[in-house]
Parts: sequence; structure tokens; C-alpha cells
Amino acid sequence: MTKPKVCILRTDGTNCDEELFYAFEKFGASPKFVHVNELRGKSKRLKEFNILALPGGFTYGDDVASGKILAVELVSFLKNEIEDFVAKYGLVIGICNGFQTLIRTGLLPFTKFGQMDATLAQNESGHFECRWIKVKVQKSKCVFLPQSNEIFDIAVNHGEGRIDAPQNIIKKIENEDLVVLKYVDEKGNPTQKYPQNPNGSVNAIAGICNQTGRILGLMPHPEKFVDATQYPNWRRSVSGNSPGFIIKNMVKFAQSS
Amino acid sequence: MIHEIRVISKSETDPRGQDLLEEIRRTLKIKSIKNIRTAKVYRLEGVTRAQALVFAQKVLVEPIGQQMSIGRSALKGAAKTIEVAYKPGVMNPEAASLIKAGKDIRVNPKAADSSWEYAFFGKLSQDELAEITERLLVNKTVEYVVKTSPKTLLITGTIGDIKTIPIRNLDTGKLMELSKDKLFLNLEEMMILKNYFQKIKRDPTDCEVETIAQTWSEHCVHKTFKAKLVIDGKNKEPLFSRIKKTVKNNPALIVSAFVDNSGVIDFYDGYAICGKAETHNSPSAIEPYGGAMTGSGGVFRDVLGTGQGAKPIISTDIFCFASPNMPPKLLPPGCLPPDYLLRKVVAGVRDYGNRVGIPTNNGSIHFHNDFRAKPTVAVGAFGLIPKNRAQKGKPKKGDLILTLGGRTGRDGIHGATFSSGEMTSQTISVSGSAVQIGNAIEEKRVIDTIIHLRDLGLIVAVTDCGAGGYSSAAGEMGQVVGARVYLEKVPLKYPGLAPWEIFLSESQERMVIATDQKNLKKVLEIAKLYNVEATVIGNFDGSKKLHVSYKNKTVCSLNMDFLHSGLPQRRMVGRSKRVAIGGELPSVPKDLEKIFLRILSHGNVCSKEPIVRLYDHNVQGTNAMHPFGGVDFDAPNDGAIVRPILSKPYGVVVTHGLNPALNNLDPYWGSIWALTEAVSNFVAIGGKIKDAALIDNFIWPFPDEESLAALDSAVDALCFLAKILKMPFISGKDSLSSTYRYPDGRILKIPPVVLISVFGKIKDVAKTVSSDFKKVGSTIVLVGNPDVKNLGASAYFDITNSSSPSIPKVDTKNINKVLESISQAVESGQILSCHDISEGGVATTLAEMAFGGGCGASINIAKITKGRPDFVLFSETAGTFLVEVESVQIAKKAFAGVPHKIIGETQEEEIIEINAGQKTLLKTPIKKLKNAWQKPMKEIFHQ
Repeated sequence: MTKPKVCILRTDGTNCDEELFYAFEKFGASPKFVHVNELRGKSKRLKEFNILALPGGFTYGDDVASGKILAVELVSFLKNEIEDFVAKYGLVIGICNGFQTLIRTGLLPFTKFGQMDATLAQNESGHFECRWIKVKVQKSKCVFLPQSNEIFDIAVNHGEGRIDAPQNIIKKIENEDLVVLKYVDEKGNPTQKYPQNPNGSVNAIAGICNQTGRILGLMPHPEKFVDATQYPNWRRSVSGNSPGFIIKNMVKFAQSS
Repeated sequence: MIHEIRVISKSETDPRGQDLLEEIRRTLKIKSIKNIRTAKVYRLEGVTRAQALVFAQKVLVEPIGQQMSIGRSALKGAAKTIEVAYKPGVMNPEAASLIKAGKDIRVNPKAADSSWEYAFFGKLSQDELAEITERLLVNKTVEYVVKTSPKTLLITGTIGDIKTIPIRNLDTGKLMELSKDKLFLNLEEMMILKNYFQKIKRDPTDCEVETIAQTWSEHCVHKTFKAKLVIDGKNKEPLFSRIKKTVKNNPALIVSAFVDNSGVIDFYDGYAICGKAETHNSPSAIEPYGGAMTGSGGVFRDVLGTGQGAKPIISTDIFCFASPNMPPKLLPPGCLPPDYLLRKVVAGVRDYGNRVGIPTNNGSIHFHNDFRAKPTVAVGAFGLIPKNRAQKGKPKKGDLILTLGGRTGRDGIHGATFSSGEMTSQTISVSGSAVQIGNAIEEKRVIDTIIHLRDLGLIVAVTDCGAGGYSSAAGEMGQVVGARVYLEKVPLKYPGLAPWEIFLSESQERMVIATDQKNLKKVLEIAKLYNVEATVIGNFDGSKKLHVSYKNKTVCSLNMDFLHSGLPQRRMVGRSKRVAIGGELPSVPKDLEKIFLRILSHGNVCSKEPIVRLYDHNVQGTNAMHPFGGVDFDAPNDGAIVRPILSKPYGVVVTHGLNPALNNLDPYWGSIWALTEAVSNFVAIGGKIKDAALIDNFIWPFPDEESLAALDSAVDALCFLAKILKMPFISGKDSLSSTYRYPDGRILKIPPVVLISVFGKIKDVAKTVSSDFKKVGSTIVLVGNPDVKNLGASAYFDITNSSSPSIPKVDTKNINKVLESISQAVESGQILSCHDISEGGVATTLAEMAFGGGCGASINIAKITKGRPDFVLFSETAGTFLVEVESVQIAKKAFAGVPHKIIGETQEEEIIEINAGQKTLLKTPIKKLKNAWQKPMKEIFHQ
């Protein structure tokens, strides 16, 4: 079986790229670091890849707003290439800062490049937060995730993760099954309570996909829990699936399609 | 012309405004303000109004939650409005991003800036606004209140002259005048300078004098640590040689010690790991946010500047402040309030470390009111490097000197000399230029670039551009072969710097590399890929001189020999002075629970979780032991373990120890305590001391006779114990300026700090253990020998206003045996959980283990010893542990021949029960204890 090729997009301030690289490699993909300058200079092309992955970090310092400057850059220089990639064959994942970038390009939720329909605003707590919380997989259009209702522990590390949009947009996102992950409490119910919902996101939304289900954006970090010892309480016991299965399934899907 | 764009949130409140409002209510007790809203102000210069509008719509404002206005105020109906901006010349890191985004959308502003406007709603007097501005909003060192909009954002200036200093004709009075507040050299050193230039028959330039002053500064050359000492009439070996000798305690482990920017030890599979800890006290005292940022940035660059470039993988932070609740009248003139310092230092560490993407996963905070004049802000960094790139190459004649990264500005002038001086009420106004705001993303770019260059073998040598700027980087790299620097080639932030300022500036985020001429093209290509500016500024010329010019004019021409060896070894005299403090022991408490709750709320004991969660301690995905764990993820672990190579089980273990309150009373036993505490933390989580090395940081008052004797005693203590433990020191730093001089001449000595960091390797992270209780019904063992008689400077004595000159004595005879038994039992999987006993005593340790276990525990202290029960519970003896094992039999076997006591067991009911024989001393619900322990920092950090 051929290994799906993953473009791990880097730029100034990307900092969760190495663990994402490792996670893709562990689950059978062939990742490559690509600097946005290489795409702009056309020494590397997106069509060489099956998956585009935008890692977490603080691209350009998150100046103005998180992921904003990179989003402006992508919209200005790589519009056609990314639209082409998304329309034809590619899968896209944006984690944390990658999600912030995707939403600010407009790729999420409705694949409208250059037009924002939703935003990721500052956490309700007013500060950056690094902790472990629980999310539940929702029934969604995401093509590579099984509809599992799975609940698992996952890391969040962000200051601007509160999804916000006009009510009709939120409704549309919900009605069209674009919500992929929700923050849940100890009973497994979606929650607005801090810190289980670490940012106050509307409807406890933690991750969404576009209408074709090929682009996923999420605030929590699935790549930070692909080995048992990455979990803070691995010495107590690790229950259920690890969130690494998001990346695992993505690779599997890319392999089979 | 400048276009002003203001962006506000559509909602009536915003988090920044709410946070400020809460802080005003909490610290200033002003309750009449109803709401605070904030506007981000952007200024664009050199674009049309139409372009500014495009820029605003595409980059600055998001209509979903925000609205904007151009050229007018955005927030109507406020009682008062003020705008706070960085002063011109202080680089706002956001400006570069604004320019970049402008280019990307083909609107090219000549200059851009951003700032914040605060609108206060409700009632507020002018005096109250002034108080808020001064105490919470503006740090005058780097910020100002914008009264009228600036006419231009472009900084212009004419180049300063090269001045000659007529040093040969200066008398002693004039020499000292030249030195004061600028060079910080003493008369003897100034005389050496004068004599040298008399001998070579010319006067020096300003640049030469400045270069020599920084090369000879205490900060760079460690005159005290290298001095011949006479302590209490006895000749003693220099402190530094004593510390260096500990390298012999475990030479096999060491790759390099005391020769590079950090100490390097062996790791696995052809890798090495390195570590360094630095202090950034003086800058943090006057500008805590910027000071903490640049402190972090500096220590990361120390790691990056090790060998041919190491990758930073862990960051640690250790702070000492006065108590946040200290009465304001105790605050010395010219000093900032401790709660402000605490919040701002934490914010600086957060904003820098998080952005660079290095997990901040170990640290601690200590409080003592004698830190009111100057905090201790220590930052550590640890790195990974291929072993075959862990040594620097020697630059040869013809190799190029390249600068990489940030541009050079006037910032940081006199940083090295300034941090070597004592602090006075004038320090803030005189030394303001020593502080700067870090640009974390610039640093991240530089790290990515250097690691890439290193892996391609393009770096001969690399060093950071810290204290002393290019003068120290070029001076050190070219020490043997000689260096030539052309200052006009150096990229500047703004024009107008005098040549000596370019050479001495300590602008952040710059690295200097030596590279072979033939690799230049490749180096420049790679730097460009990462958006890093790289410029050749000189070469190694074989002259054995430091020759610096500006547009063909010689600025500096000094023999390397004089620069690096011209300073004679000092001879210093110390005299120990024992101040006997009249002891006043606490009366036997009637309500032990109340005491216990107060201890749990003590600043040195309470949970620091709200701070740790602000730091990205999980970036890089390498943590194998997080700072907090347990059922609710809120129980503290004793140290950090990371797996720097994700596909391997190998771990890097990092811990630390310090206790300034103890050092204040007894430098010898206080230092023994600090080192024991550091290694106990290390062993408690599964580290083995034979695979670990030590880093020392001495943060000491100015070495007068008494403080010098105390320092001597501390070094003796550390060397004595390091020998017992067979552990080497491989890196260290001293900062001997913890002295504050009041305007009336009175002196305040800040408590001396010995900070010991431990780092080492472990073959398999699966063989490590956390602090949370794992099971109900398991056996709790106290391992080690607690000193239950001496509680001087303990949290218990502090809250009861008691005192005693006698601090806990570590059982140095048994320490190796104790540590070894824990290591073995962890490795063989017999220990379920382990937690070292420190501040707050065995009672606190027990409670913290139960917090994580989601269970209770019951112990009987009569099993420990017969002493006073309160003393037994709250004694803070380093080198003692609480351990959870399956059964009494396992405990007896694992700790045979080692001092240990089986004291109780874990239980389902979530209660801590402490008995003395038949008598129940305390029976308190876990929840109540946890609340007391969590409350203080939650309040300060609004969580």
C-alpha cells in the first residue's frame, strides 16, 4: 500500500509540527515539512500531496488575531492551489492555530476562500489555557471519522478557541452535520461549563468540518496523544481509544481513496 | 500621514477590559467603575485612506464580533479614556506582522504600530485614573500614555560620533566619575585601563572603553568567583575552581562542562542533552514583562548557542517575590509592587515560551518580603543535540562572521554592566535603556534556521548575542585567531546609533555564527527560507586582535590578549558573621486543622496550578510526566520528564530545588537543603543520580565581607554534598547584585538564593512514577530521616510568627542509601506513588498525594518519632519521601537497611486522618484541604 503524502505546513511561529509529523508517520503516512515560502516560490506544490496539515503554534505571533496573518498570506498567494487541492483530491486538517487559520481563510465552515463566516474568538476566561479535557465524536459529514460516539481525553493549549458566529450560521453548522467534536462533561454531555469547555465555545463545539467532509478543523490536539505515555495519567490507566485515532483514520481513508 | 484605525468588540464587554476591571477592584479597591472596554488602535503610515480601509477590512477587523472606526474614537460615553502605547524606539513585535500582511495584500505601509485604548464607564476621579494608569496600565520604562497622536512612526537620527576618551589624563576622581552608572568598574580596574593606554601611548575610543568594561563586568567574567579568597583569615581556593572540580565526580557522563553556553551530558543513540539556568533579576525588577520575556529568550539562545546548535526542549521558571499581600508602605522607593511583578513576570514567560513552542513544565515560586526591592527571576532551558555536533569548531582565518535574526537597536545598552551593579531608587530612570521587549517569533525563526544549518554541517561555531552584544560574541569567538568587524554592515532597527552602540547593543533574538566562506550561499538561502535576515558583518582575520571599524574609521583595535587576560585575579576578604536570632517557638496549637489549612494556603506551599496552566507545558508532545496529574489533573508532580525523540522511550528528567528563607538563616545548611531537595525531586519521579548533572545559580547580595563568607560557605556545602552524591556541576551562573540602597543610604540585602537544577537521562520513561496515590488500602511509608527539631524558616514558623536560627539538617550520612533505595524500588515497579517532602512538611505531602488519588489516607505519627506532633507534621526536611507501596512486606523488603517508617495507609473515604498513638489530631475532608491549597493563586490569577 502506498503511504499517503502529508504536507505539514510550516511558517514563522509554527510549533506543533514535529509531533504532528510523528503522529502521521506512526500511523503509516509519509509526512514532509513544507514552508509556506516553498509553496509561494513553487519549489513545492500541493498536488504532490494527499493531505494538507496545518499544525498548531503562533504563526506570525498571532498578531492582530490568531492565524490571521497566515490566513491573509494563503488567501493572497495560494488561493487557486488550495482551492484546487480541496476540490479534487485532498484532505485537510487544521489543529489549533491551523484551525484558526482555516476559519480565517473561510475554508471552514463553508469552503468559501476569502470570506469568513465564523470566528475563533478569545477564550471566555480571557487567558491561554493548557489542560486535558474530554471531547465526544459527533455524527458528522467528516469523511474519514467513523460515527462512533467515542469520548476521549485530549489536550487543549490555546487562548483563542471560542467558536462564534451569528445564530443562523451556528444553526446551519449544526443542521448540516458539520460539528465533528464537542466538549463534554464527566457524564458525556456537551457542556458550557469551565474548564470542561475550556473556552466557552458556542454549543460546546470543539471541531468542525466543511460540507464535503474533507476539511477538518479542531482546537484540541489529537497529535499530542498517540503514545500511551503522552497522557498525564497513563500511570493510573488509559481508558478507551486515544485521540490519535483521528489521524490514524485520516491516513487510512487517504490510503483507501 | 498616519491613519488611525480602532477595532472594538461588538459586545458590551471584552475579556481584556474585564480582566483589568477585576484587577482594579481587587488590588486598588476602586469599586465605582461599572465597565471597562478596550479598543485596539492601529496606525498606518504612508498609505492612502482608501488603502488603509482595504487593510483594515482584510487584516484588522472581523465583522463577526468586531467593528471599527477610522480616524475617530470608537467608544462613546466613557467617563475617561486613555491610550497606552510602546514608546518610540521600543520595538513592538506586532509592527513587523502588520508590515508583512500589508505587503501580502499589496498595500505597503512605510510604518505601522498598534496600541490599546481603555475606556472607563461609571464613576472615576482623575486621581483614581492616575493611580490605575501608574500601577496597572503603564510601565514608564517602555510605555507611555498617548496624549496627542504621533505625527510620524518613522524614527530618524544622525549617526553618533566616535569619541576619544582622554583616559591617560584622568585623575582618580575623574576615572570613577567615568565608571559610575555606566562602566561599573572599580578604581583598580580603571587604573589598569589607564596604565594600559599610557603604555601603548594613545587614548581609547568610547567603543574600546565600553568593550573592555563589558568584557570585564562581573556579569561576564565572574571576578568574585575567580578571586583568591581569604575567609576568616584563611586562604581559600577560588569558588569557581572548587565547583569545577566536581566534574571529577562523574566524568564519564560529561560531554562538556563550563566551556560552552550550557553544560552538555551524554544521552542515547548518539545524542547529547544540555542545560543552563540564568537569572534576569535586574531587568525584571524594572520591567517585569519585558524582563521575563528577554530572560526566557536569552536562556533559549544559550541552549541554541551550544556546540553547533542545540534544540531547546524544556523551559523552567523559578521566581522569588515579596508576598503579594505585603503592605504597600513596605515597598522601597523606585520598586514595583510584588503582585504586579508576579502577574507581569508570569505573563512574560507565558507570551515568550508559548510562542517559541518550548514546554514550560517545571518551576516554582517562593515568597519572602525581603524580595521587595528586587525579585529573583530564574529561567532554565534544556536542549537536545547530536553528540557529534555538541562541540564548537574553531574558526580559522578567513571564516566569516554572520549575524542572524533580529536587527540591532539602542535597546539593552549597558545590560551586562547594569546587572552587575546594585539597585537604587534611581535605577529605573537611569537604566531604562537596558530593558527591551522580546520578539518570540523572531527567536523561533532563528532556532529553526540554526537547527537546519547545523544538520547540514554549515556551522563552524555559534554563539548567542547576549550581554555585550557583538562585542562579546565576536570577542569570544575570535579570542584565538582574531576578528574583524565592519559595523556599517550591521542591519539596524533605526538610524542614529553611534558605532559603539551598534557594537555593544544587546538587542534580542540575534545569533552569531562562524561559517566557511564556501558555504555562504547555502547559509543565506536557508536563512531566507525561514524569513530570517542573515548578514556577513566581518571575518576571522588571523590578527589576534579585535579590530572594529565603521566606514573605514577604526572604532576599536584591541589585543585579544589584553581584553581577555588583562584583568588581574582579585583577592577578596570575607568574614563570617553569625547573627544569633532569638528563637521563639510556637505554642502547641489547640486547633491543628486550622494551622494545617493556613499552611496549605501559604505562598510557598499553595497550588501554583493557575500559573502552570497559562504556560504551554505540553507543546512538542514530549511530556511523559506533566506538571499536574491525578484524578482531577490537579495534583503536583515533583519534576518534568520529556521524551525528546518521540519514537524512542528515552527520557530527559529535570527538577530543581531552592529555599531562600533557609539560606538567609544558614548559608551552609540552606545550600545542603537546596541540593538535597533538587536531587530528591529527581529521584522521587524515577531519575537516577548517576545519570544526572547539576547546574548552580547563586543570586547573592553584593559580596561585602559578610556576604562573601556566606557565599564561600554555600559553595563548600554544595561541593561537599556533590562529592557524597558523586554528581558533577557542569554549568552555573552567579548574580551578585541582590542589594538595594535606599535614598538615605540604608542597605537592604535580598535573601541569598542557591538554585540547584538537576537534569539527566533515563532509558525508559515507563519506569517512572507520579505523586498521586494509586490505590485504596496501600501502605504509606516515610523514607529518610526527618529532622523534627529544627523548623527555622518553615512555613509553619512563618504563619505563627515564630523564629529559630536552626534549620532542618539533612541526614547526609544516609542520603545516598535513601536515594538509591527509592531509585531501585521505582525501577523494579514496587513504588505506586512517591512524593518528596518539602515546604509544608509531611502533612502537606500526604494531602497532595491524596488530592491526586481521589482517595483519603490515615497515618499515625507516633510511628515516626515521639517529638511534638506539630513539629513532626510540618518539619521540612529535604531528602525524605512519602512512598505508596502495595503492602507492608514490600515496604520492609524494599527499604531494608534504610531509615524508614511505615506510617499508615490509603483509604476510600476522602479524608485525611492524622493520629498520634490513640489520639486523633486531625480528621479533615480532602475537599476542604484542597480548597485552602488552591485558593490563593486562583484569586491572584482570576480563575
